[in-house]
Amino acid sequence: MTVYVHSVSMTKFGNNENASLKDLMLTASREALDEARDLKIDAVFVGNYMGGSLANQEILGAIVANDLGLGPIPTAKLEGACASGGIALRQGILGILSGEYESVLVVGVEKMKHAPTATVTQFINSAMDQTTNERYAGLTFPGFFGVVANRYFHETGANKSHLAKLALKNRENALQNPLAQFQKPATLEEIMNARMITDPLGLFDCSPITDGAAAVVLSRKPSDIKIAASAQASGPTMMQDAIDLLSLPAIRISGQQAYEKAGVGPEDIDVVEIHDCFSMTEMLAIEELGFFPKLEGWLAIEQGKTRVNGEKPVNTSGGLLSRGHPIGATGVAQFYQLVLQLRGNAPNQLEKRPRLALAQNLGGTGSYSVVHILERV
Amino acid sequence: MKVYECCGVESVTKKVYCSTCRQEIKNEREVSDKGTVYSFTVIHIAPEEFAHLAPYTVALVQLRDSTAKLTVRIQESVQIGDLVQLEEIKNGTYIYQKVRTA
Repeated sequence: MTVYVHSVSMTKFGNNENASLKDLMLTASREALDEARDLKIDAVFVGNYMGGSLANQEILGAIVANDLGLGPIPTAKLEGACASGGIALRQGILGILSGEYESVLVVGVEKMKHAPTATVTQFINSAMDQTTNERYAGLTFPGFFGVVANRYFHETGANKSHLAKLALKNRENALQNPLAQFQKPATLEEIMNARMITDPLGLFDCSPITDGAAAVVLSRKPSDIKIAASAQASGPTMMQDAIDLLSLPAIRISGQQAYEKAGVGPEDIDVVEIHDCFSMTEMLAIEELGFFPKLEGWLAIEQGKTRVNGEKPVNTSGGLLSRGHPIGATGVAQFYQLVLQLRGNAPNQLEKRPRLALAQNLGGTGSYSVVHILERV
Repeated sequence: MKVYECCGVESVTKKVYCSTCRQEIKNEREVSDKGTVYSFTVIHIAPEEFAHLAPYTVALVQLRDSTAKLTVRIQESVQIGDLVQLEEIKNGTYIYQKVRTA
């Protein structure tokens, strides 16, 4: 059996001050359902990380079914930190592959901008193991990737300018994306000199706090885009337990499994959306996914290989760094950009219309990774 | 400092089962609390509970007599390779100090 993508939608990412979590979720869901009106939805899967703690709202799946008149169908919310959206997509795909459902709605959503940064940072930290000495040491997510970056610099010829070039690429891509959070140009100098968040990562190296939602309708009824592979892997939940600090094994394993399922290799992928929660994360991911040799991702950045119309275009949407990162919506928003690329009408549309697209969604400090490969048929 | 070992992997964190042989992890031994800075960061933007400490340094320490690493908070500014040792364990936090610059 094959699963196909029938529709995608996405709200504007950024500060949606007047919209509640529910408003955002229903807006994206409704748009995706309208585009796939001929399909009867059999189940709803919601990707969301902190609706309960930060927006005081749970039962998201039931709200979608009730308010959008989908009937008494089963629904569920999936949580896997920043990979919640990718995991919701995967559960929707598995639900269809099991034969239980013909068509499903997957929606990812997060509402974060109303809370102070220290509060959001506190809640985000619940995606690290809170019972350990790492929590008491005061390690944070940007802190983890700061530690990784300093070691990466130590072991390679890379320095802060390579992370800055990567962040600049994603900012330049976001300028062409009307739904992206940041549409103000930035310069390399500005990125290099921005205020420090967790040394050596500055403001532009870190994904922002964002409100937003994205939705996808999947079905076993054919369309022009199929899911060629869905794979997921787990990794360490603590920095001190990483066997190799410069590796995110969950990304490598989920990538390898996805390539195997799709019967393709990294060289066959035409366009990529990667989970760049931090500039350093994208650097490791382009290596772990086999696009560039281990510890040489920085050379690819230096040579512009991941730019739009480069050898391996990464994050043509602007990525988490500049499109924005409404946590539960991120994995679903990656589908939005890739489906537009495959259809030929994306922001930063590639000159040669792509056939194979890869989405990689990360949760925690490498605790979860989900990889999907989409194929134009 | 206690480390736990199974199938050649040492960790300061006690886990239930070994991911290689699936048996209960039973080997433990005492090792020196001295080590070298494997990497570090200075946290300027902190969560609420640590905001009063910011900026503060968090380091990943390679323990001297073990393959295990340990995440610590450290008072001084450090570089990779600096020799460090435990000063005290306070409220679950390993607080380290620099002994010698790399």
